[in-house]
Amino acid sequence: MAYRVLITDDSPAMRSFVRRVIELSGFELSACFEAGDGAEALAVLKNEWVDAILTDINMPGVDGEELLRRLAADELLRGIPTIVISTDATESRIARLLALGARGYVTKPFRPETLRAELERTLGVPCD
Amino acid sequence: MAEVLESMFFLEGLSEAAEPAPEAETVTVQLTFDGDPPGCFQMRLARPAANTIAADFLGEDAESLTAQQSTDVTLELANMICGAVLSRIESVATFRLGGPQILADGTSQHGPDEATRYTVETGSGTLTVAIQMETPRCSPTERYAS
Repeated sequence: MAYRVLITDDSPAMRSFVRRVIELSGFELSACFEAGDGAEALAVLKNEWVDAILTDINMPGVDGEELLRRLAADELLRGIPTIVISTDATESRIARLLALGARGYVTKPFRPETLRAELERTLGVPCD
Repeated sequence: MAEVLESMFFLEGLSEAAEPAPEAETVTVQLTFDGDPPGCFQMRLARPAANTIAADFLGEDAESLTAQQSTDVTLELANMICGAVLSRIESVATFRLGGPQILADGTSQHGPDEATRYTVETGSGTLTVAIQMETPRCSPTERYAS
């Protein structure tokens, strides 16, 4: 099965990298959308359904925390699994983001297989 | 640093090296961080290494990279190494990273005076990082980072 994902990060290089490692990991994508911040992500979600959202936290404009709040407040969008990708591995930050509704958390640096495993876990993909 | 370079930039076999000579063509990135304690981080990277690392990160040929792509990846690399270092030093403390900035040539090329430094040979040039905590000498930067 192939999945539709949305990658939100203010760094174009990081968005390209995340997309690349998802593909390198063998995780099948049928569509991959990109957004530079939370506002762009919400705009994409008005027109496109996705199976999962991967988001950075510290972004100018609508940051990742605010994106999580707005997703949680939206009846249609709150069910989309959201995985945070961040350099911040401090326990308090991870706990706060999970409390805001994030289903997964991947700390940079990460290996392709780590990202794939987190995607599969949050999407409930059966293990091979 | 090695973990960041190996897992996300696909570099293997890194070895510790001597700091590059001051006249070497390098790119220097600086970022500050708030927290307990606050501090300053600098990364100095040989120009050829910056281009090679960016190409590996993006999965493209070094010859086809734009200057902007190389800069974007260099900034992201500095952000990731700083974040990884801080998370390991103080895993329960909360740090907020400033936006990484490229320093103009000749500006603080050797990093904070009393910083802890580490240099590795990447295969296409050296990479030196310097981190100094509890001495907020760096100028404040935008309060966001990847």
